[in-house]
Amino acid sequence: MTAPHDRRVVEVSLGLFDQDLLAACISCGFCLPACPTYKLTLDERSSPRGRITLMRAVDSGRLPVEDPTVREQSSYCLGCRACEPVCPAGVQYGALLERWRDLTWSGTRTPPVAAALRAGMRMTPALAAAGRVRGAARTTGRARGDGLQLMLGCVERSLFPGVSQAVTRLLPGIEVPSGQGCCGALHAHSGGSAEGHHLADRLGDALPGTILTTAGGCAAHLVNVLGRDRVQELSEHLVKVWTADDAPRLDPVLVDGRRARVALQDSCHLRNGLGVSTQPRELVARVADYVELPSAGTCCGGAGTYSLLRPDDAAAVVAPKLDEIDRLDLDYVVVVNPVCQRQLVTSLRRRGSTVPVLHLAELLALALPP
Amino acid sequence: MPTSVAHATGLPPAVLDRLRAIVGAEHVLTTDGDVEPFARDATPLFRARPDAVVLPSSTAQVADVLRLATETGTPVVPRGGGSNLAAATVAERGGIVLVLTRMTAVKEISADELLAVVEAGVTTSTLADAAAARGLLYPPDPGSRTVSTVGGNVATCAGGLRGLKYGVTRNYVLGLEVVLPTGEVIRTGGRLWKDVAGYDLTRLLTGSEGTLGVITEITVGLLPMPETSRTGIAYFDSLADAGRAVNAIIGGGTLPATLEFLDHACIGAVEDFAHLGLDRSAGALLLFGDDGSPRDVAESLERMGSACADNGSHGVELATDVAGSEHLLAARRCSLPALSRLAPLTMLEDVTVPRPQIARMVDDIEEIARRHDVVCATFGHAGDGNLHPTIVFDADDVDARARAEKAFDEIFGRAMALGGTITGEHGVGAAKLPWLRQRLGDDQIALLRRIKAAFDPAGILNPGKLGS
Repeated sequence: MTAPHDRRVVEVSLGLFDQDLLAACISCGFCLPACPTYKLTLDERSSPRGRITLMRAVDSGRLPVEDPTVREQSSYCLGCRACEPVCPAGVQYGALLERWRDLTWSGTRTPPVAAALRAGMRMTPALAAAGRVRGAARTTGRARGDGLQLMLGCVERSLFPGVSQAVTRLLPGIEVPSGQGCCGALHAHSGGSAEGHHLADRLGDALPGTILTTAGGCAAHLVNVLGRDRVQELSEHLVKVWTADDAPRLDPVLVDGRRARVALQDSCHLRNGLGVSTQPRELVARVADYVELPSAGTCCGGAGTYSLLRPDDAAAVVAPKLDEIDRLDLDYVVVVNPVCQRQLVTSLRRRGSTVPVLHLAELLALALPP
Repeated sequence: MPTSVAHATGLPPAVLDRLRAIVGAEHVLTTDGDVEPFARDATPLFRARPDAVVLPSSTAQVADVLRLATETGTPVVPRGGGSNLAAATVAERGGIVLVLTRMTAVKEISADELLAVVEAGVTTSTLADAAAARGLLYPPDPGSRTVSTVGGNVATCAGGLRGLKYGVTRNYVLGLEVVLPTGEVIRTGGRLWKDVAGYDLTRLLTGSEGTLGVITEITVGLLPMPETSRTGIAYFDSLADAGRAVNAIIGGGTLPATLEFLDHACIGAVEDFAHLGLDRSAGALLLFGDDGSPRDVAESLERMGSACADNGSHGVELATDVAGSEHLLAARRCSLPALSRLAPLTMLEDVTVPRPQIARMVDDIEEIARRHDVVCATFGHAGDGNLHPTIVFDADDVDARARAEKAFDEIFGRAMALGGTITGEHGVGAAKLPWLRQRLGDDQIALLRRIKAAFDPAGILNPGKLGS
């Protein structure tokens, strides 16, 4: 007996997405428990699997890009990529999301806040001026060679100038080339992946050596465009170069005469995109009592432009984390990405919490002898 | 006797209004975009647009929805975590997909009575973790346990990695709260291990794939948590060799908690994802494990390791601790999705044969795959005779797909000839319906239909599938 399979359907493709990337998902659903928005809603539409099903429908022409659910879900997704490490099939969700946002946020469909940020981060001279005014690390002139070169970032040098300052103390003599623009991660994650790749290439030209970045999100984007060998995130670099016999003296960071209790908030793209998660913990533990935040590996809701575009949802995502921070009686929360820093600083302040948020570089700089 | 089979062609606005009145407007989804994610489950190549997706939060709401559906002849397809592998939750006749994931209360964990009471939308892991927190074990552990719901597990009688020693879902279901298609809420069984009052409707509903009633609450039996558990790995030249070792292990008087095997292709795919340091060059791997007191477990693993070595294994490794064992089991659970790395389309089957026939069946599968020129990787629950031959191919390779279907057809025929079945734990759904008559025979198919009609006179529940 041969069985008729007339109940099976065949998908057609309009070629809007990379077919290999889409086909990798077999809808097993192993990603659901890892997804912050699924955890909040228990709604298939707000899960990685459900979103990929929506992308497939767009790709096959069953749903238009303008479909309200397609638009809403592409925007509601944090883009944290927590679904990637748990996916046995190896689905590259981050790459799919970039493409999806290119489609849903193209041209006039770009949310105004994202469009404004994308435009602002294009202006390299303005970024440089802002960094100077705010007191970020001084540049050392045009790039001289192919050694380690500190990237200043676009958000970080204005909002948290102390981070690059701290790095120049941790790695004295590090080159800080001038003429640096934005790496384009922000563009790639908000509907402008072509520009995002172009900006990364341009930054790669301005920093022709090994790019040292203090931002997990930038690191993952730059690796994606320039390749793994061109990029070092600060914590992975320090763990590698600060060997047992060759590390600066670090004193314990003390609070009220005892070692500080310090928790870490992972950078999602650093952890999920590049697999870097043990290094920042190890560095914190060298100078303080490391406390694992139960939700350390879960998105803080900052998520690129997310907290600006969807403040209420970002607040819902971060709320359980703030409870944990309260409960754990911490002296500091450490971050490895400026967007997480901004999100935690503002969320904790709004809640009336006094726990300070530091970048890892700033905590380590506190441990350097005066 | 003709059975009613409901078929919706779009729901009238009045019906949608009544659904909204029952569960709240935000829990009735009708737009193309909103229903799309519920148009399929984890089965490749099956998709159908429901007219509406309804997400109730209580048994009373489920009852109201079903009463309305029977009154209006609207199909209703119950759905849990959507990890079904036989397209049992695909709404092929349209109508309502009834999603129970909002019913997530763990109502009771009783250490005194060794039982738990949960709502249907609780995930299998949530139940297992809640039981473990009280020192208790919920043994059924289907591969998709972090996603699948207990309601879905009962509806499909889900199996898992502990079937040999502990049985499957049906062995732990003590009682059910079920909404009949006509809206009555019944409670079958209860909190008792012994209860023979009336037909065993609990068992009839377990594995009924959402065709007889909607399960809303489940009472499951639990066991004391074993003191410890350990696993080991033995490598073989072929799956058939591993199958022979399985028979030697069980024939030697050991009934282990876990006996899983993976062939060469599966080892590579799992290793690509999990990076456990498995030997990629091996033809097959047998994962064996047991639980109990530390001494019993050590003895059991020792015996199984020797049985493997005596039966052609060229390498036996024991996990050194519980965490290592957990990693091995977790990796094994990922076999299917990991296999999808091999090619865009992954068609998985679920044949089961009497245990002594495993070696023969895997040989036959390999022979059939070779003859039809398809790439077939096989893994499965060796101790249960439950095999998951998985054929992978390119999505647009129409010819490969036809060859895969021919190969599976022969594999089903071969399994049945060896005294086996077309599905051990995934269910019939829409995907395996074409082979059901061959497995059950005309008289049983007719009886299934009479049972279905008795429960569901209007034929609204999961129409066109089991019992239709």
